[in-house]
Amino acid sequence: MNWLFDFPFIIRINTNAIDRAVRSFAADHAAFFDGIKAGLTNFVGAINWLLNHIPWFVLVVLVFFLGWKGHKRLRSGIAYSILLCIIGMLGLWGLMNLTLSIVLAGVTIALLLGLPVGVLLSGSDRANQAARPVLDMMQTMPVFVYLIPAVIFFGMGSASAVIATVIYAMVPVVRLTSLGIRQVDAEVVEAARSFGSTKSQMLFKVQVPQALPTIMAGINQTLMMAMSMVVTCSMIGARGLGNEVLIAVNRIEISRGFMAGSSVVILAILLDRLTQGWFSGRKNAGDEQQ
Amino acid sequence: MMKKINRILGLLLALMLLAGSLAGCAPSQQAKTLTFADVGWDSILFHNAVAGTVAETVFGYQWSEVSGSTPITHEAVKKGEIDVHMEVWTDNLANYKDDIEAGALKEVSINFDDNAQGLYVPRYVIEGDAGRGIEPMAPNLKTVADLKDYASLFKDPEDSSKGIIYGGIAGWAITEIIHKKYLHYGLDANYNYMEPGTDAATSAVLVAAYDRGEPVVAYYWEPTWLLGKYDFVLLEDEPYDPELYFEGKTECPSVRVAVCTSNDFYEKDPEFVAFLSKYRTSSALTSQALAYIEDTGADYKTAARWFLKENRDMVETWLTTEQADKLYAAIE
Repeated sequence: MNWLFDFPFIIRINTNAIDRAVRSFAADHAAFFDGIKAGLTNFVGAINWLLNHIPWFVLVVLVFFLGWKGHKRLRSGIAYSILLCIIGMLGLWGLMNLTLSIVLAGVTIALLLGLPVGVLLSGSDRANQAARPVLDMMQTMPVFVYLIPAVIFFGMGSASAVIATVIYAMVPVVRLTSLGIRQVDAEVVEAARSFGSTKSQMLFKVQVPQALPTIMAGINQTLMMAMSMVVTCSMIGARGLGNEVLIAVNRIEISRGFMAGSSVVILAILLDRLTQGWFSGRKNAGDEQQ
Repeated sequence: MMKKINRILGLLLALMLLAGSLAGCAPSQQAKTLTFADVGWDSILFHNAVAGTVAETVFGYQWSEVSGSTPITHEAVKKGEIDVHMEVWTDNLANYKDDIEAGALKEVSINFDDNAQGLYVPRYVIEGDAGRGIEPMAPNLKTVADLKDYASLFKDPEDSSKGIIYGGIAGWAITEIIHKKYLHYGLDANYNYMEPGTDAATSAVLVAAYDRGEPVVAYYWEPTWLLGKYDFVLLEDEPYDPELYFEGKTECPSVRVAVCTSNDFYEKDPEFVAFLSKYRTSSALTSQALAYIEDTGADYKTAARWFLKENRDMVETWLTTEQADKLYAAIE
């Protein structure tokens, strides 16, 4: 009966040779990878330096203000600033800054790459179709598969963490930017064209503003996915809240893990609500202008 | 309405029958099953294969592995979800002693306790490697204390003013001790101490540095394929002292690597437990087997058979004569 259930033939792939090739590639181009690593590390370091030089109360007031203005409700502002204070009271403020600097660095790079790619893809159905499997792969390939190669290329630490975050988190902004632009009403595009708008005018004055809500949703999703990488990235040396969770899990310290884990949740909620509020606030302002 | 429910019930019944008949088609005799813990590193997979081969050929078990991290598999053995854990690194589990004392699981044997662990550097850092054109970078580096002179060599990529020591794996009991050692020798003045999140990350750092011929210093342990394959040197330390060790002042002792079973399994099959209680190898033997796997590309089961044949004298002390004959008849 085995022939019924066992697959009839198997290709033996020489995995050792592939491993050796990848590793010698990493070793031969060490200078190149070290350059990227230094750049990313400095970028994260700069953001962290900045965050560490913002007094805590300034950040709390900022969150309060953004929550209040963004959601047009005093309640939201108060709730958000209290949540932020909880992280501080748990003694995790410094770790939060570390986590935040890696997430922000990852999101910035993901947006710098993702937005233009999304715009380019929106122009052609064929490109869009070709990019789809690549995007699917970036999103579903188990992170661990490229986590360890990242360490071989970029060493342990924030550089590898940022790269893993960018790969994983870039996808939604590409997808939704492309989708948003393609969904802009054909008649609006037609009208703009008949007024003689150039390609760049069309893009920046018509298509992007029209697609803005969708693009913003993509940016928000990218931010959330970057947050979800926090604990995973700590496995390759990203310091911060994720590392705290990992240590607690490895030691079965339930309460410590719960505190750090809750802080990750709070941070994610704050980033989500504040960016959402800000986006919808801008949208409303735009509506009023019209 | 009634009709609809009947139809749904009928459909469910049919599905269940189908599933049942399919299950009946599958290998029919109810083999005894045995689960081993798979904590991911290769020596445990090898020991699982050795014990599994014995279980299969002598005791008629079908064996499988359940994977998880060190604390997760430990909890699973306590709950009886995993039957046998071939390599419990007792020093790496903060609650191991309490659990044994409380009777949450049974320690049946010491697999090996002659392994080394501590801070390692590649041999070329000290002696150079003429074949690869690497000059000795730290010819006088011998002990952990010497590290303080070489901070500029082991540069931290995130902080160029200091060196970096990759310490114990986050959460392992040894990690704190290595950290105390780092403080004890005053290495904190010019080194940062990093706790890698997983052992795979440390391995990747070491392999990448080795490929590039760069200096690196990290906590690692034997027996592992990595130290079997690459030439690393353990930095010397003060002679071991059980009390001073916990303050990080002496070299690390060997870890007792124990074979544990769940309480249920311990009760269920005393005969197999008797075999396990005699199961004892050594760090050197394990490294040898791992090197065999690395060299020949054999899988763990093949390596286990090779190992059982190579070390027949030792294996015969684990089993009764009758059992040993059965084993060797089956694997020849």
